[in-house]
Amino acid sequence: MAEMTFFHYFPRDSLIHRMDARLKLLCMILLSVAATLAGTVTEFAFLTFVLGGAICLARLPVVALLKDMRLFALLILLLVAANAFFVPGRPLPYLSIPGVSQEGLVMGLRFAWRLLLILMVCMVMTGATSLLTFKNVVEWYLRPVPLVPAARVATMMNLTFVLFPVIFDTYAEMRAAQKARCIETRKNIIKRVMFTVAPLLSQTLRKADEIAYAMEARCYTEERTRAVFRTKAQDWVLTAVCLVICLAVALR
Amino acid sequence: MPILETRNLTHIFPNGAAAIQDINFSVAAGEFVVLAGANGSGKTVLIRHLNGLLKPTKGHVFIEGAPIGKDIVQARKKIGLIFQDANSQIVGQTVAEDVAFGPENLNLSPAEVKRIVQEALENVGLSRYADQDPHLLSGGQQRKLAIAGILAMQPKIILFDEPFTGLDYPGVLQVLGEIMRLHKTGHTIILVTHELEKVLAHADRLVIIHEGRLVEDGLPAEVFPRAEQYGVRIPLGKIEGVESMTWLK
Ligand SMILES: Nc1ncnc2c1ncn2[C@@H]1O[C@H](COP(=O)(O)OP(=O)(O)OP(=O)(O)O)[C@@H](O)[C@H]1O
Ligand SMILES: [Mg+2]
Repeated sequence: MAEMTFFHYFPRDSLIHRMDARLKLLCMILLSVAATLAGTVTEFAFLTFVLGGAICLARLPVVALLKDMRLFALLILLLVAANAFFVPGRPLPYLSIPGVSQEGLVMGLRFAWRLLLILMVCMVMTGATSLLTFKNVVEWYLRPVPLVPAARVATMMNLTFVLFPVIFDTYAEMRAAQKARCIETRKNIIKRVMFTVAPLLSQTLRKADEIAYAMEARCYTEERTRAVFRTKAQDWVLTAVCLVICLAVALR
Repeated sequence: MPILETRNLTHIFPNGAAAIQDINFSVAAGEFVVLAGANGSGKTVLIRHLNGLLKPTKGHVFIEGAPIGKDIVQARKKIGLIFQDANSQIVGQTVAEDVAFGPENLNLSPAEVKRIVQEALENVGLSRYADQDPHLLSGGQQRKLAIAGILAMQPKIILFDEPFTGLDYPGVLQVLGEIMRLHKTGHTIILVTHELEKVLAHADRLVIIHEGRLVEDGLPAEVFPRAEQYGVRIPLGKIEGVESMTWLK
């Protein structure tokens, strides 16, 4: 899992990386909205062009990203097929496959393209924003929301990011240790699962306990130093461009 | 006035286990105290009381004469604790971010946090790794990171819980060198270990805990011949006095 390049951060020095992350998130939301509302091929193609351009601008590793896309390609293919078969309508004009309707296929393709665009949005956002910055942005947006403890949410996000790989490593290590003691010879699959789940759970809880202590030892409070964001003129320009794109698609 | 003092410190866990009982000891500013004891003797439980992570069932802890419960944040700023498991102390996704955690909790300004982090990382020689994932560091480096995270709080007293476990020879040297440097710069050090041969030569005092009770407290040369009866190993063969008990050249 650690090998997946898909939703990874790639430290670079690009226009997109340097962009004020608050506006970056706003832009990405605007583009997602545009992708959701898009209907015609021209609109789809245009949005693909814009997001492709953003990926290149951010200098993300296109080949590696495409490779990881394979996983999603299967899902997308399934979606298209499901739509094609289950949406009723006229048969295909040139080659007719039994059960496949023209409307269904178009609908499926549209759906798939939309999904692809949203995936691209996620790629740009996660590829060009570190988790720390992302956490700070979420905290910034949540701060004015009443009844939401923004600092606590941010800390929880942070701990999730930290704990996840740790739990995964623990799991891998435990599996290896159990294999060394021939767990494979056990036929009962439920027993086998229990042998991993129970200790993993108790280990994770103990780890969480230790982290809580460690945080307390370093004076954890929710009144913490706040991140500073700096907005540059070009950030506003990019945001304006995204706003125009979104409005153009929405008001068509 | 001692910088740190405990009076009748007792901790009984809900399951009835008395982890420590009636611990009385005090530490003077600038002292280097080694705390030894067998597995399960109560060392970790004791030092977790010293910065208020655990609340005593009975007894008190005083820092510079004031009970620590009065202002727990101040107490924790003054007393840094390096955990037995350096790995579980990591809360940041990068080395720099992890060190920043403490100062950010103190609500210092971003510029100040940045300066302190740089300084702390430089002090332990980890500046190069500032943007790296802390889980990818070696064991010795992780422990240095834990030290940097504590240094960023600018404590007066530093508690080390088994700082040498799991480290190889160079790792021990790195960490030991760092501890000595901290002691030289005026920090009060309390170090928990059962590997006396690695550090005892540098200590001003040796305290031994046995089954939750403080059984020995005195000059290392006087106390260490009796250490074995409490389950603390004395290096076999060449006992050439306490001065030889260090891994530093
Ligand atoms: N949460 C707990 N609940 C019940 N008993 C506990 C708890 N934590 C520790 N103990 C008990 O308290 C005693 C002292 O534990 P402590 O962790 O302080 O030992 P230690 O001297 O640090 O040992 P080690 O050298 O293995 O680190 C042990 O007998 C242990 O079983
Ligand atoms: Mg311990």
